[in-house]
Amino acid sequence: MKDGYDVIIIGGGITGAGTARDCAMRGLKVLLIERNDIATGATGRNHGLLHSGARYAVTDRESAAECIRENLILKRIARNCVEDTSGLFISLPEDDLAYQATFVQSCLAAGIDARIIDPKEALTMEPSVNPELTGAVVVPDGSVDPFRLCLANVIDAKARGAEVLVYHEVVDVLQENGRVIGVRVLDKVHGEVKDCYGSVTVNAGGIWGHHIASLAGVNVGMFPAKGALLIFAHRVAKLVLNRCRKPANADILVPGDTVSIIGTTSTRIPYEECDDVRVTPDEVDLLLREGALLSPSLSSTRILRAYAGVRPLVASGDDPTGRSISRGIVCIDHEVRDGLKDFITITGGKLMTYRLMAEQATDAVCARLGISARCTTAEVHLPGSEIGGLEETARKIWEVPTTVQKAAVGRAGSRASQIELDSDEGQGIICECEEVSYGEIASAVDHLDVRTLTDLRRRTRFGMGTCQGELCGFRAAGVLAMKTGNASSARKDLRDFMNERWKGMFPIAWGETLREAAFTQWVSKEVLGLEDNGI
Amino acid sequence: MIHNEHIRSSNFEECIKCTICTEFCPVIEVNPLFPGPKQAGPDGERFRLKNSFFFDENLKYCMNCKRCETACPSGVKIADIIHSARMDYGTVIPHLRERILAGTDVMGTLARPFAPIVNAVAGSKAGKTVMDKVLGIDHRRSFPKYAGHGFIGWFKKEKASIQDSFPSQVAFFHGCSVEYQHPEVGKAFVEVLNAVGVGVRLMDEKCCGVAMISNAMWPQARRNAIHNLKEFRKAGLPVVTTSSTCTLTLRDEYPNILALRNDDVREDIVIVEKFLSDMLDEGDIKLVFRPDYKAKVAYHVPCHMEKLGWSIFTRRLLEMVPGLELTVLDPGCCGIAGTYGFKKENYQYAQAIGQPLFDEIRAEDPEYVVSECETCKWQIEMSTGYKVVNPIVLLYEALDLDKTREANMR
Amino acid sequence: MRYDVVIIGGGLSALVCGIRLQRSGKSVLLVSSGQNAMHFSSGSFGFLGRLPDGSVPDGLIDAVQALPESHPYRKVGTDRLREYAGQTIGFFESAGILLHGDPLHNSLRLTASGATKPAWLAMEDVTLFLSGEVSSSGKVLVVTLKGFTDFNAPFVASAFSRMGYTCRLEEVEMEEIASLRKNPTEMRSVNIARALEGQHVLDRFISCVRGKLKDEDTVVLPQVFGLKDTSPLAAIRSRIPAHVHFIGTMIPSVPGIRTQMSLKSAFLSAGGTFLPGDTAVRAGFDGSGSVAAVFTSNLGKTPLEAGEFILASGGLWGKGLDAKYDAVIEPLFSLDVDYPGERKQWYDPDFFARQSFTGFGVVTDDAFRAVKGGKTVPNLRVIGAECGGANPLEEGSGAGIAIMSAFMAADSILGSI
Repeated sequence: MKDGYDVIIIGGGITGAGTARDCAMRGLKVLLIERNDIATGATGRNHGLLHSGARYAVTDRESAAECIRENLILKRIARNCVEDTSGLFISLPEDDLAYQATFVQSCLAAGIDARIIDPKEALTMEPSVNPELTGAVVVPDGSVDPFRLCLANVIDAKARGAEVLVYHEVVDVLQENGRVIGVRVLDKVHGEVKDCYGSVTVNAGGIWGHHIASLAGVNVGMFPAKGALLIFAHRVAKLVLNRCRKPANADILVPGDTVSIIGTTSTRIPYEECDDVRVTPDEVDLLLREGALLSPSLSSTRILRAYAGVRPLVASGDDPTGRSISRGIVCIDHEVRDGLKDFITITGGKLMTYRLMAEQATDAVCARLGISARCTTAEVHLPGSEIGGLEETARKIWEVPTTVQKAAVGRAGSRASQIELDSDEGQGIICECEEVSYGEIASAVDHLDVRTLTDLRRRTRFGMGTCQGELCGFRAAGVLAMKTGNASSARKDLRDFMNERWKGMFPIAWGETLREAAFTQWVSKEVLGLEDNGI
Repeated sequence: MIHNEHIRSSNFEECIKCTICTEFCPVIEVNPLFPGPKQAGPDGERFRLKNSFFFDENLKYCMNCKRCETACPSGVKIADIIHSARMDYGTVIPHLRERILAGTDVMGTLARPFAPIVNAVAGSKAGKTVMDKVLGIDHRRSFPKYAGHGFIGWFKKEKASIQDSFPSQVAFFHGCSVEYQHPEVGKAFVEVLNAVGVGVRLMDEKCCGVAMISNAMWPQARRNAIHNLKEFRKAGLPVVTTSSTCTLTLRDEYPNILALRNDDVREDIVIVEKFLSDMLDEGDIKLVFRPDYKAKVAYHVPCHMEKLGWSIFTRRLLEMVPGLELTVLDPGCCGIAGTYGFKKENYQYAQAIGQPLFDEIRAEDPEYVVSECETCKWQIEMSTGYKVVNPIVLLYEALDLDKTREANMR
Repeated sequence: MRYDVVIIGGGLSALVCGIRLQRSGKSVLLVSSGQNAMHFSSGSFGFLGRLPDGSVPDGLIDAVQALPESHPYRKVGTDRLREYAGQTIGFFESAGILLHGDPLHNSLRLTASGATKPAWLAMEDVTLFLSGEVSSSGKVLVVTLKGFTDFNAPFVASAFSRMGYTCRLEEVEMEEIASLRKNPTEMRSVNIARALEGQHVLDRFISCVRGKLKDEDTVVLPQVFGLKDTSPLAAIRSRIPAHVHFIGTMIPSVPGIRTQMSLKSAFLSAGGTFLPGDTAVRAGFDGSGSVAAVFTSNLGKTPLEAGEFILASGGLWGKGLDAKYDAVIEPLFSLDVDYPGERKQWYDPDFFARQSFTGFGVVTDDAFRAVKGGKTVPNLRVIGAECGGANPLEEGSGAGIAIMSAFMAADSILGSI
């Protein structure tokens, strides 16, 4: 297309972000379009588990093999976004210990380094594991911060010339003579509609890819399966804990950044509900009951939030739970399948195979464009991950890093050097629980496509700590208001932010959470007067 | 029950980020290097659990005064979290200075035979310069004087033989300062308890370990703690003390920082003012005061007494003294915090922290100050020139011991 | 240890009740489990800011009739409410706290986010408006301190613009304040107030503000002055040639802390006993169902005995209530708690809607005596936020209930009711 992009990618989740980066690295002119903020769909709503592949070894060897290959790649190129914690698959008295042998065999066959250890050794490695365990297998599981990973891909894509439109919703797929030539987008902030043209269009909309495809007149049958998860307020375990049995509910506990996450459930939901999934009390009960079997200390650990995501599985068969569906990657060139040219759907897969998905999608794009550039995403470090190691990264920037500087390195890795963290102003704390400084907040607002406080949260982890935005929401809203000069929209945004935080809290509102909520209510209403929306 | 909220001994998750602790921290007011109790405690703990990289050596600026814990509306043991973190993650090895300051009993044993010389050297300009330059002990600091004759020697010679004749007994944990610097406190303790009909026994005690905990000498602190707990169990008696800091350490730091269980003996470890007050409540003892006793005193509640919550007992006893004009000073830290204020890098902060208290004492202009803590005594005496006495010494002087003895004959 | 009255709590209602009793000759002990909600005050007291139908009442005492019968105000009764409301300013003045406002009518205050809210009485820092009075054609200068994110100057400025003022925003930068930022938790209202306590620092601040002032007739400042006393407020007001308004910051609250400290001093100088940082953990009852003693975590086996007990433990936030997974309990005496049984009725999914859980409280009889297992405990009264039958946050009635119930409990113990 003249005056257009080589490729338009729809969807700012990890698949779209990764594809944008890969395309940009192969020299294409890229436009990435996201209807909300980046990482708002399934990308930001999962365990953050860096699978070793062991979980799928018995049921889906192909996925398992993909996982371990990508696991090793991400530990290298995205070391600032992942943590090499290693993981345990434990058997409990009610589990069939015979499964362990099958499990280990399958792991080894898929190339996953799985090693049976004595339950006593497991307890030494991980004191919080259920002491009644009868068996344990060590695997190279880890954790991944999905927001950070997605952001790193977007930052790198932009640095390589890609354009990114957030809060732009695709309302139509433009076609001409059996070809997709671009998309019509609605700018949700300004309410304007415009057309964007591209030689090839990639549908990376995840579960919403179903809808994008229908706009193009083709069908991608998605299988929406809701998964509910709970966040605990600190790291209960150092290792990822799994149950050594056929994948079931609430059998993974992942240490992620400052918290622990237990999940998930799996429930088929109607497609219409994908935009507003909520956690039910029954799901909370189930997660707590099953979680306590992995690590009994969970039953006495403060719960921070409950949340749910929708797995973007591609429909096949009629398994009502979605557990037996392949987690494999689906890359459709719609010319081959539907006769619609220059339109590619990339879906299925998992957070941690995003790079491979992006590679496959980009290969397909390049094939259409007749470009032969090789994929290098497996070799080139993502921004922030160049140095590796917190201590090393921090010392490279500061001789004696302060608390705030250390926290920034923990999140931004080597990118922390680009954030103003040397001045008193830059080091002023906005979010105390997560130790997010004014410098990080200001830098995100200035450079990282932030429109709302919730976007800002995804970039920086502000408001994700113990108090859930009680104090820092107000402060960050002030920074936004100063920077945008629009106090009334910042105030409205603060109200939305507090409600977004509350949404994850009320399903678990007892104990310390309810007490904290009583305090937050007081501060927000009596002190700040935020219940009045009348500005 | 599926989920029962609070649990961990340090219960950092009960922090609801109200920031009250920060308001009450005396260090943060004067020292910008200290990250403050909330950050150093519950906030920092989440990061340390994530990765030890996030441990901050500046936690050493915490004086362990526990004002944060007294103020916390959520019952979070903030100072315990900070000191446990220093123990779990700290990498700094204690130097000679820390060993000297923390080795209260060893140093005392070595110094006492030469008390006049040690006192003269420690008090001399040359001695102070050496300590400042070589050890980092601030030259402006006055060292407590070592007493030439200790408490234990006096007790064994004068008092030990009659103790079994009393109908009930207590074990006296006298602490290092009574033995090495202030035997008069121990003497007053024995005289008063004997007068109310209670016999005193000594144990083979070691330093409670508070200075070792502050100076990152954890293995030594644990060794002492294990030894002392064994002695308490062997004694099987109420363990009565005269120092608020020793008391807090024995009761609370042993389980909360050193992770040594003491629930079987904890209730029986009490400071003498609580012991006497409880006995009065039970009607077990009577106190008869001298009619001619007169004094104007100001009571400084040491931080650890505030944390114990027991100043009401001292107040109650002091209020019983007919000729006593008593003022209770505003709650506030004197700044010394044991060995903290001795260190060169802390001296200016220690004095700034104590300034409001010093000003208030000068304004009250009492005959002397009353306080249960020996290091508060050193700090206040050095900084204000006012004499500080332990309440048991005041009681000893105010009581008519003969009449009290008579009244308690059974 | 034995006292005439033992009060569990150390916040507004506990202190008010304790002062009234101690001054009338009773020996009173307060057990305060850490600091309290006064630290998070807005700088003003609410009596009844919103009726169940959402409207803002004008005449406060008559409006009480619209509340349900179980409401604490109905238990006090309108005659006594009028009398107590009339006594409040004088009571606080006797404790060294100057309040202003109309004791029988609502005024308005401006909140930290720029909203207006009904208010009853206010501390010296807070300007009260009567509705309709707020609009002006004057010019306003909003001054904040550089790097102080707990004062949201743009929100405040936009509120003044909305009221018809022409508004300008300025930042003051002072070395004494800037150095606070070196520390991750120090740039808070209280620390700034401490830094501004030095006379020369305050002088420099005032001259900075004067330097920024152009043709404005009104200056707006954050509430960061006068932690110990209100003399900095007076100095600012007298030396800045404009009307000066102080607007709230994010917590902690400088006026709230000052007020709490004054009340505590008043209680202590009346001869009361205050146990800071101690938690009542266990209670003993006598054969007739009366409370005989409470035991605290610090005092261990030493009982605190009294003829009368008062529970002022502050509800959910103060740990006077404990929300378990499936039940809400009063942990000390196991009193009956007023709350909806099912957890999903405890909250509303809209954060800003009326929340049921902010109104949980202990069931009491008409004289604020606690109910346990359906039976009245004769010598235990429940006051302040611990007392059920109200939703103080939604009604804007927290301080009013605290003070009115404290007065009533004290008077009934003193036998004057």
